[in-house]
Amino acid sequence: MPTALPMLSVKVLFFGRIRELTGVSEEMSEVPANAKLSDLFALYVGRYPKLAEFRSSLVASRNQEFASWDATLAPGDEIAFLPPVSGG
Amino acid sequence: MSWNMTENLASDKFTLVREPIVIEDVLRFVRADQDGAVVTFDGFVRNESHGRRTEYLDYEAYESMAIGKMHEIGEQLHQKYAIHRIAIVHRLGRLQIGETSVFIAVSAPHRAAAFDACRYAIDTLKRTVPIWKKEYFADGAVWADGELPPVPPSSKTAS
Repeated sequence: MPTALPMLSVKVLFFGRIRELTGVSEEMSEVPANAKLSDLFALYVGRYPKLAEFRSSLVASRNQEFASWDATLAPGDEIAFLPPVSGG
Repeated sequence: MSWNMTENLASDKFTLVREPIVIEDVLRFVRADQDGAVVTFDGFVRNESHGRRTEYLDYEAYESMAIGKMHEIGEQLHQKYAIHRIAIVHRLGRLQIGETSVFIAVSAPHRAAAFDACRYAIDTLKRTVPIWKKEYFADGAVWADGELPPVPPSSKTAS
């Protein structure tokens, strides 16, 4: 059996319709040390299955920069899941 | 003529506010004697959306990232156009019909650069700044259709 990976903790933010769906604005989340953004999202899909429908109409940010889904997470990262933006 | 970019950036204004935007203050902020033109964009709440009568809008933002993205727009404007100062002010919270949600002002020695920069600023803001609006109607509410910001390519190298 493989050794369990150490966990790391990141801050996760939700906005707009995704915030309404999860009922979460901001929380800390624990993920395995080699986790990617897509793994973190999958963790939330496990908790809120309807989130899966939004996967293709969301972008993620890491430390306030838009990030690709395969970006690797680091301790203390600030991650956000962002619906299409509609300012102006 | 070349402008000192550091000085210009230091004197630009990128803010999120929860009170009504005072347009005269923004205009006064960007105007200087070295300029010959100010071009502005006043975005305000329309009374209908897709044929439904709008009652009001609620705006929210990922505030720290939104300010960062507005600064990036400012940097791009100074690189692309011979302009002097930029102000971008976006309002958050509940806005009634006719109230200004975003006001952009760009000053420049000559008008062409100011027109181009102002257009670029609002188009880029609508695509890249994490702000959202929810539209309220007599019979319900919806999050406005938005634009998905461009994301950097996957960090994996194709092989």
